[in-house]
Parts: sequence; C-alpha cells; structure tokens
Amino acid sequence: MAIEIRNVEKTFGAFTALGGVSLDVRSGELLALLGPSGSGKTTLLRIIAGLDHADAGEVSFDGQDTRDRAARDRKVGFVFQHYALFRHMTVFDNVAFGLRVKKKAERPAEMDIRRRVDQLLTMVQLSHLATRYPSQLSGGQRQRVALARALAIEPKVLLLDEPFGALDAKVRKDLRKWLRHLHDDMHITSIFVTHDQEEALELADRVVVMNHGQIIQVGTPAEVYDHPADSFVFDFLGGVNRLNGVIEAGVARLDGKAVRVDGAVGADGPAVIYVRPHQVELGVAPAEGVPEGKWSARVSSLHAAGPVARLELDLAGRALEAQLSRDRLSDLALEVGSWCTVDFRHARVFPAKS
Amino acid sequence: MTAAASTTATKPARRGWAFLAPTILPGFGTAFGFTLAYLCLIVLIPLGHMALRAADVGWDRFWAITLAPRVLHAFYISFGCALAAALINAVFGLVVAWVLVRYRFPGRRLIDAMVDLPFALPTSVAGIALTAIYAPNGWIGALAKAAGFKIAFTPLGIVIALVFVGMPFIVRTVEPVLQDLDAEVEEAAASLGATRWQTFTKVLLPAILPALITGVALAFARGVGEYGSVIFIAGNIPAVSEIVPLLIVARLEQYDYAGATVIATAMMGVSFLMLLGINFLQRWTRSRHAR
Amino acid sequence: MPADPHSRRPAVGEGPLTRLALIGLAILFLAAFLALPLVAVFSQALAKGVGAFLKSLTDPDALSAIRLTLTVAAIAVPLNLVFGVAASWAIAKFNFRGKSLLLALIDLPFSVSPVISGLVYVLLFGLHGSFGPWLRDHGVQIIFAVPGVVMATVFVTFPFVARELIPLMQEQGVEDEEAAIVLGASGWQTFRLVTLPNIRWGLLYGVLLCNARAMGEFGAVSVVSGHIRGKTNTMPLHVEILYNEYNFVAAFAVASLLALLALVTLAAKAALEWRFADQIAAAKR
Repeated sequence: MAIEIRNVEKTFGAFTALGGVSLDVRSGELLALLGPSGSGKTTLLRIIAGLDHADAGEVSFDGQDTRDRAARDRKVGFVFQHYALFRHMTVFDNVAFGLRVKKKAERPAEMDIRRRVDQLLTMVQLSHLATRYPSQLSGGQRQRVALARALAIEPKVLLLDEPFGALDAKVRKDLRKWLRHLHDDMHITSIFVTHDQEEALELADRVVVMNHGQIIQVGTPAEVYDHPADSFVFDFLGGVNRLNGVIEAGVARLDGKAVRVDGAVGADGPAVIYVRPHQVELGVAPAEGVPEGKWSARVSSLHAAGPVARLELDLAGRALEAQLSRDRLSDLALEVGSWCTVDFRHARVFPAKS
Repeated sequence: MTAAASTTATKPARRGWAFLAPTILPGFGTAFGFTLAYLCLIVLIPLGHMALRAADVGWDRFWAITLAPRVLHAFYISFGCALAAALINAVFGLVVAWVLVRYRFPGRRLIDAMVDLPFALPTSVAGIALTAIYAPNGWIGALAKAAGFKIAFTPLGIVIALVFVGMPFIVRTVEPVLQDLDAEVEEAAASLGATRWQTFTKVLLPAILPALITGVALAFARGVGEYGSVIFIAGNIPAVSEIVPLLIVARLEQYDYAGATVIATAMMGVSFLMLLGINFLQRWTRSRHAR
Repeated sequence: MPADPHSRRPAVGEGPLTRLALIGLAILFLAAFLALPLVAVFSQALAKGVGAFLKSLTDPDALSAIRLTLTVAAIAVPLNLVFGVAASWAIAKFNFRGKSLLLALIDLPFSVSPVISGLVYVLLFGLHGSFGPWLRDHGVQIIFAVPGVVMATVFVTFPFVARELIPLMQEQGVEDEEAAIVLGASGWQTFRLVTLPNIRWGLLYGVLLCNARAMGEFGAVSVVSGHIRGKTNTMPLHVEILYNEYNFVAAFAVASLLALLALVTLAAKAALEWRFADQIAAAKR
C-alpha cells in the first residue's frame, strides 16, 4: 500500500514537532525515518498509525484520506519501542490478541486463530516459547513477539518505532538482517524510525533524513551518503572532518590552497570543508617542501587494530582524522610523530554558519 | 530529492487553549465526568457548604467563638501535641526506617509489616488499648505513677496517642529514600576522610531531609485532626487536655451547630495555612538539596 | 547477624555496637508503641476467661454492630472502588488542564479531621441542617441512621483506591493500551483485557486498605450515627459505648475482633507486597 503524506503539522505546546511535512511512501518499500531525537520522526510515525492526530495536513492510504479512520480500523501493524507486550498474557495469547478482539462476525474460529498464530510463531522462530510470558524472554525474543503480534492482523503497513533501540549490539545486527529477509519475503510497506545512521543505511530501501520537524533529504542509502543535501546530513551520516576554510572567487581554499570539492561551492566568505576520514589521501612526505596542491600534516596518534587503520593528524593546528587500509599504512611506513602529505579525494564545502 | 516543506496548511491548525491533550484512548469523558461528579457530591459540596454556614454566623461572632479561652486552649493542645508527636516521630521514625533498610536481623520482616499497624487498627481500639497501658493502673502508667507523674489524662497522654498514630507516616516516607541512596556517595565521603557521624550529618541527612519533612507534615496533619485514639487517653479535661475535634463534638451534642461549624472551619483554615507553610519549607529544602 | 546490604562495603556502615544499639532502640520503641497495645487488647479481652469473651461477642447488640459494620463496608468500598478506577483512568491515561488540582482535591479527605467529615453531613442532612426539614417532611432520615453512617464512611475512605492506582497507572503509561487499540480492540476490550489485568494487584491492595479504614472508622461515624444500640452502632462505636459503661471485658472483646481484622489486613498486605511488589508500587519493573 502506498502512503501519501501532505503538509502534516503538529505542535506540542510551544514545540513544533512537525512543521509541514510531505512524503510519498511507495508500496512495498522499507523506508527509514532517520534523525536525532526531537526531529519529529516518531511523531510522524504515530500520526501515520493514527496514535496521534495531526494539527493540519493529511495522510492517505492508497489515495484514501485517513482522517476519519480510527487507529483500530486502520489495519496498521505497529511495533512499539519497548514492545508493549501484555505482561499477563503468554506469547501465544499476545500474538492471538488482535484476532480475538475482532467483532464476532469477523473473528476467525478458535482453530483458525490457533493455526495462524502457530504459523506466525514459526515464522519468527519462537514456536518453542509459545507458553512463556514476556518477562521470561530475552530482548530479541520480545521484539520478535511484538512483530508477530503486529503481523497477526494482516496489516497493510508495518510501522516500527526504534525497533532495535533497546537491544545490545550483537542481537541488533542479527535482528536487522533477519528483518530485511522477512521484508523481502512479505513485501509489506514498512516504515521504521531510527536515530542510528548505520541501521538506516544498511536496512532501508530509502532513507528519510529529518531534523527540527522537517524532512531534509529523501533518497536511497547511497544517495544520501554520497550526496548529502546539506551540512546537517553530512554530519549526521557518519564520521566527518570539519575544516574551517574560505570561499574566494568561487574557489574553496584551505590555508590558501585550493580544495577540489563536489557540488556547488556557494557564495564567498568563511566556509567549512567537510571530508570523510576514508576520503583523506595520505602520501610520503618529500625531503623538502610540500608538493603543489597538497598539505602537510604530522601523525599525532595511530590506532591499527582490525583491517582499517585510524590516524589522528595535526594539520597546521587542526585535528584531522584519516582512515586507510593496513597495507597502505605499512607502505607509507607512518608512525606517531612522522610527517606526511594530505590530499582530499572527495570533499564538500558549505558556508560557515554565523 | 529534497522534500519541500510547504507552508500552506490545508486546514487551519488547531492551536491555543485545549482542555484535553489529543489522545486515541477512549473513555475520558465518562471517567472524568464521573470523577468530578462524585468528588463534588461527596467532598466538595459538603465541605463548601460548611464554610458557607460558618460565614452565615457573621464576622464578630466567628471571632468571639474562636477566641474564647477554652477554644484557644484546645487549639493550643491540638496543634502543640501534634507537633510534639511529629517531632518525636521524626527521631524515632528515622531510626526505625534506618534499621529496617540498612540492617538484616531476625524478625525484620515481621517488624516491617507491623509498622503499618496504626494505619490498620481502628482508632477506638488503639485509644482504649493505649489507655489501658498508660492509665495509672496500667502496665506503664503504674511505673510512671511510682515515679511520681501521670501520663494518661494529661497532654502527655495525647502526645503518646499521636506518636502511635503518626509513626508509620515518617517510616514509610523515609524508607524509600534511604533505599535509593547511592552507597557510593557514602564511600566517597569515607574516602575523603569523613567520620561515620560526619557522613550522616553532612551527606545522608540533607538527602533524607525533604522526605523527613514530608513525613512530619503528614503525621502532623493527621495528628491535628485525630479523634478516636486520643479521646480515651486524654481525659478531656477542659483547658487541660481537651482537643479541638472533641470540642466540636461537644458543641454538636449541645445542638450548638454554629459553634461546631465555626470551630471546625477555623481548624481547617489553620491546618491549611500550616500545610502551605510546610509545603514552602519542603520546596526550599528540595531546591537546596536538589538530587 | 546475617549479612546486611552494606556489609560488602567495609568503608561504610556502623560498628557492631552502634548497630546493636540502633536495632535495640528501634525494637524498644516499636514494642512500646505497637506490640504492647495489641497485647493489651487481647489480654484484657480474655481477662475474665474465654466464656466471658465469647458471651460479649454473641450479645445481640454486638452482633448487630458486626452486621452494620459489614454492611457499611460492603457499600462504601465498592463505591470508592468504582470511583478510584474512574479517577485513575482519567488522571493517569490522559493529559488535561487542572490535573494537579484534581489530584490535590482527591487527597483532601486525608487532611480533614474525621470529626469534620461527619459534621459536614450533619450540617446538610441533620434536623437543623440545610435539608433537614425537607427530609423530615418526606420521611427520610439520614443523620442518626444508616445512610449517614455510610456517607461519612465513604467520605473518609474516599481517596484510598485512587491513591494506590494513580501512580501505578501513571508508571505503566499508555503504550499497552495503544498497542491493544492498534490491534483492533474496542475501548471496553482494552480496559478489560489489558488495563485491568495490569492493575489487579494494585487494585486489591487499595481495596484492602480502604476496607480496613471503612470497618474501623470511628470519629466521622461517631458524629453522624447517634449511637443507637442495635441500630446505628458500628463495631468501633460499640467498643466506645461498652468502654464508657466500664464493661471492659466486652469492650476489649469487640476490640479484639477489630484488632484481628487489622492483623489480617497487615498479613494480606505484606503478602501482596512480597509477592507482587512490582505490580503494586509504582517502582522499577
């Protein structure tokens, strides 16, 4: 099912949670709403579910306005951040809940409910725990029960609020993969909220980056990572070096030397050059002077555990982080205190905020 | 692709004054309506009605009744004994809470459960039981008599009854705070060279103080209005051991409705003022020792 | 002495002597103020033997007092139960203006002297009360009759259930209810299948305390009852009457029944706290 969101606004007292947001969710896609806390992503999710009401704007499912459809009639599967499992019910009864509360005329026979719940529990690999209570499960298992419960009502949309937020790192990774496979099998339109850029980039078909109640950028993970719309997105999507420079006559300069940048340069004035650590190119320092168009830096610390080496460099008093392969590091024979040349493969420049 | 944020809303935003924050849960109207109606019928209208009746009496007579020596003395006894009992409880209640939270010893659970006895025991039962113990021919009263003083039928007896009634308030408000205290803070104090007593007075007590004041306030408020457990042990001698609630009952029994109403209203007024003062005191300690 | 929570932290904690002194002081204080009165009640009740004790309890007036006490509790407790559930649903699950005022008003009866709790009804419905003459003309008697006793009891026990439930339900939040509604449950189904099971032990706890106070209330009831033997005397009032007649054995016999009720209440309360601590207190889950 496709979802269209048009000019949705929501305020809580003086706080603007959503300031006129529009978005098209394509049928069958897995979409991530990514942003820092307070960016409005959870509010948007709750409005789609019907758990909150928008002050203005509309949300339609397949072209039908949902304003007059109560949450209980929307057929939306919602997985809560802390799962909201019913503590006094077994895993089985939790999953069966949505089927058992249907009106008599629509309620499946108890046999059919049983079969359907068994099916779902098999799918989330929890058949052996059907008679347990939520308090007897691990975090990852609770999460899967919550998912099975949401899927039991055959929702047209699946909404997940910080689905992996309460889990530890290892479980989180496994569950992420598992959810991706599940989505590929079922093709149900799914939206999840997260503040973890890695999660969004790895799991989603498309990522919606939000900040201060606005949508900043929508695109595939590759698009938003490689072509961030602005400095906020650049910053938010992973480690980045920020170097203070200037724009002069349409050329970005760092310590007087021109920096090759992608995209628009912008108006003259103070500017910040953004470059990701793995886009920093290091070279052997020549015996004398600095080569044309490059900078010179000294290694101030070095972490070489794992396949990638991380270096902290001192570039004329600025801290600069670089990443390179262990092979490249041994080719360069760098150690703490040694000098090297610096160049930037891909950089972006944005005007400095006053 | 960047989604443009449109500034033109499709319908005017609903902002400003709203009684109820938007929600999808049903039943607010019914629950709130019933709550308010029940509250008005049972509590607010009867209390408001009493205040109106007191106002009917007129200003001059109101003061004449309130400032009569016998009434003033009853106020002095009620508030004074309640305060004394609350302060005694502040010390012993703190010791009991401390012992229950910090130490493990046989019978601790039983004692912990028994602390609530004054909440559960009907006040008239407590009253006759305490009288039986503290009357001159009672177990402890006889000892006191031998030592040359009287407990029951004096203000001291009233204080004893109010200590009984108020004790759980202190213990139960201090206990959770003691439980939540971080042992690391005490270790930090010890590592900085503080003695155990210094740690208690400079680190622990300030943290407990707001809860202790709350407990004292609750015990005091309860003590001021207490009737059942006091009247037996007090002896009710006018201008010696007569409490305000008893005076109200006495006026009612003489069909002096105006007198009863005025004294009751004055008593509620004073209680509220004192609670308000305690509230401020509490806020002050809380802001000073914000945790 | 078994390990206490601080024994593994040698830097803090008192020396054994201080510890012993504090425990001794606490026990002495509690013995004088809690244990001794209880012992007094039972020993005085049995002072003239079991026969006299039983005779006092089977006296028609005593039986009628027991009956009235049970009746009053049977009316007042369910009323305040319904009120407590409604009030906590409105206050804990919704955000509305004036919530803290409403909360303070619900607590109001706690800070009103029991005597005043009775007096307010006398002023409304008594013979000289505002509605007294009208009620008399229509043959309805409230004060010095059972309805007055019930009203005063309702007033005094008004906040008990609400006080237990509000913090509990606030702490549980609304996520469970939202989950149920998204899954298609109706409002009533949500309450019955999700909310009620979540609060059942807290509810029982509140009812327990409410009932203990309802059966034991003295001051408020004393003002409205008129102390008519066999008619408007509850057990606590009967204790007073017997005591004032110097019939100590009978007074303490009836008192011992009430003390027993208190002990049973405490035991049930302790059992609930021990078994369902997490589902009663608004504390860590």
